[in-house]
Amino acid sequence: MIGLKGTLNVIDNSGALLVECVNVLKNKVNNGHGSVGDEIVCVVKKARPISAAAQASVSAVKVRKGDVRRAVIVRTRKEIRRPDGTIVRFDDNAAVLLNNKREMLGTRIGGIVSADLRLKGWSKIVSIAPRVV
Amino acid sequence: MASATRQIFKRLFSSTPRTANTQAATYPFSKTAILPPLPTKAPTEALRAGKGLMQHINKTLATPEKKELLEKFFSRRSKNQLQPGSIVTVLQDQAPTQFTGVLIAIRRRGHNTSFRLRNILQRTGIEMQFFVNSPSLKEVKLVRAPPRGRMRRAKLFYLRDAPSKMTGLAGGKK
Repeated sequence: MIGLKGTLNVIDNSGALLVECVNVLKNKVNNGHGSVGDEIVCVVKKARPISAAAQASVSAVKVRKGDVRRAVIVRTRKEIRRPDGTIVRFDDNAAVLLNNKREMLGTRIGGIVSADLRLKGWSKIVSIAPRVV
Repeated sequence: MASATRQIFKRLFSSTPRTANTQAATYPFSKTAILPPLPTKAPTEALRAGKGLMQHINKTLATPEKKELLEKFFSRRSKNQLQPGSIVTVLQDQAPTQFTGVLIAIRRRGHNTSFRLRNILQRTGIEMQFFVNSPSLKEVKLVRAPPRGRMRRAKLFYLRDAPSKMTGLAGGKK
């Protein structure tokens, strides 16, 4: 249940570390709260320093603190119910950064993601993730 | 008094299979609908009015395999009942097909019985609650019993804040 001001860890290698949710897209129900598989607009609160090579390059994706980016939620601390009644709950909230075309900004994912992403159409992320639960 | 409890025990946990009506039943609106076998006895007047409805459902809703599973691991009288603090593996039809974890809670509600497993994977804690009667739950396996046979609590939610105690219980199992 991620809403305004909810913080999420970023688990890809885009460079961001912590993002804060600003808006949950396409969610006019659920009081504007997002769950796994929902796209959100977020502000980067903490980011890794950009290496010199990346600074020089024009095409590399540079994620800085204060950027407004899109992301998809991949783990929530709030329980998610699966169709057969199984409930999953993670110990933190996590997201993966996206560009405006729903493509990933990073190239690798460093953590577990929820299997509910597949149901919501994010099979690309599920296939790269090291572990899916 | 003792014979009454014994009768209730026999009726609730009898191992003789019920001879159910297995007519070639067809459901005209869906090919994938699961059709349970029809009950042998017609519902009594009292049952139709709703008296003893939950007891009836607890007895008839589960398939015989699920009843066995429920009785073996979750009945309080069973020798093999799962104790909180044991390490349990669950095999499922859906993702994740296999999940191992510390049993931190058992919620006994008749056919609604469920249990929670907690594990730490890739530095993230994960808790999953499985419902025993779910058709996608295939198998429940006990990996290790709790230390000294039992924990001192029925619900081990304190493990969420004590990763060191989790590793102690798991004995290095990740």
